[in-house]
Amino acid sequence: MENKRRLFLKCACATAVGAVGSTKLIAAQSDTKTDTTEAEVNYALIHDETKCIGCEVCVDACRETNNVPEGVSRLEIVKTGPFGEYPDQYFSFSRKSCQQCDGTPCVNVCPTGAAYKDPKTGIVSVDSWKCVGCMYCIAACPYQVRFINPVTKAADKCDFCKETRLKEGKSPACVAACPTKALVFGNLKDPDSEIVKVLKTTPNYRRKTELGTRPKLFRIATKSGEIKL
Amino acid sequence: MNPFHFDSLVWHWPIAIYLFLAGISAGAICFAVLLKHFKLGQNAYKSSFVQAACLLAPLAVFSGLGILVLDLTKPFDFWKILVFYNPTSIMSVGVAVLMIYQVALFSWLACLFKEPISNWCDHRWPLIDRILSLLDKHEPTITGLLVMLALSLGAYTGFLLSALTTFPMLNNPVLPMLFLVSGISSGAAGTLLGGLLLKGNPDSKEVHFIHHIEIPIILFELVLLFTFFIGLIISGGQSQAAALTALGEGFWGWIFWAGIIVIGLTLPLAFNLFMTASSKRKLSYVAITASCSLLGVLLLRNFILYTGQMTVA
Repeated sequence: MENKRRLFLKCACATAVGAVGSTKLIAAQSDTKTDTTEAEVNYALIHDETKCIGCEVCVDACRETNNVPEGVSRLEIVKTGPFGEYPDQYFSFSRKSCQQCDGTPCVNVCPTGAAYKDPKTGIVSVDSWKCVGCMYCIAACPYQVRFINPVTKAADKCDFCKETRLKEGKSPACVAACPTKALVFGNLKDPDSEIVKVLKTTPNYRRKTELGTRPKLFRIATKSGEIKL
Repeated sequence: MNPFHFDSLVWHWPIAIYLFLAGISAGAICFAVLLKHFKLGQNAYKSSFVQAACLLAPLAVFSGLGILVLDLTKPFDFWKILVFYNPTSIMSVGVAVLMIYQVALFSWLACLFKEPISNWCDHRWPLIDRILSLLDKHEPTITGLLVMLALSLGAYTGFLLSALTTFPMLNNPVLPMLFLVSGISSGAAGTLLGGLLLKGNPDSKEVHFIHHIEIPIILFELVLLFTFFIGLIISGGQSQAAALTALGEGFWGWIFWAGIIVIGLTLPLAFNLFMTASSKRKLSYVAITASCSLLGVLLLRNFILYTGQMTVA
């Protein structure tokens, strides 16, 4: 009996040490992950809500370029309003798409590593072959922009046209299609890029930063329609 | 708002059933271990209640995993979860725990039933004798590992949901504790019901032992539920909104107050105290108490899963 008890205690200690060790390992790994890639490129996007007219040309361009099936979408324009009295009425428009977080809740929860942040471009992407469709990432995304693609049955979302237009050296479909130039796409690591200049000179905001997501979809606020407390 | 269909809903009831079954499995095997070590000793395998727990634990974990796999959008690709691991993903770590848990579970079951197994084999297969004696030599290690893995599995069902920062009600540090404790109480209820079905004596020392543990567990569960919701309410903001939406009027409010608090916790507690006082256990009492407990835990899993996804951060 004494022997058994001793063995049990030894085993318990070993497991505890193992658990502590693995926690440390995970912590170390997430530390390296939070460090934005040392690569030359880290893509980001600005949606200038003061210029957006809500025409949704970007939505159609995205669907066509990335073959997004009907019923789901990588990009939506959310319209609120109208505000004010006729004839001085106006709407405000907000972009709903992947925010390309730097601290990625979806990547952290993905059990297979199908959700990943591309180390070369900083773009959060989905490996649809690796995805098993557990929908953990869809639940984990605070911006609720992920969906199951009805054709591939894998999780899907905006990837800045990484597999389509970026490969051809062009800017994302929505950016190219926008008639009012409300979208600015570029590399945050390049100090001479337009996006860095705009971000340094124009007040901007991002959504839900309090959740530690560090999103790379920046927004320039339009005049607000209502005062919310 | 429709209680079963709303925009922010991602995970539906199969996930709640899975969490429920994983909790039952962990709880039932804990009680089998406790009964063997503190009450029954080497003859534990003859007890209907231990047999029930030993049937329930693997069946629950298998059916739970089955439901989980069928709920994937690509059920035939489930093997990728077993091949590719992501240490930051609670689900991935949980799958690893589940796999090791099943190994420990079957090793312990082999130790428990070694007498009937070796009698049945009658030394026809020397390999089985060798495996049994090897497992028997390491029984204390296996038992210790099994208990730790079972507790991890019970807590994992909570961590799986509490990792979701999207939903302030789920992203709550009390949730893993709550699911672990309610999982253990569902394991106790499942063991009692199963034992009675296997013609166990409702006034046996096994039932007395389980009921004695069940009373403090129910009280602790009430404390955890209180902490869970008070914590959310005093956090303010969306956490408060989430708690008030969940507990307020409507379908899920009824489920919480009538289903979980009254049927799932208060009634079993009252029955348990009454049975302790009157000291004579009847089959109907034990069965009704256990059924109430089980129903309460099943409702709790669904309630937390659905109301938790109603309010977004």
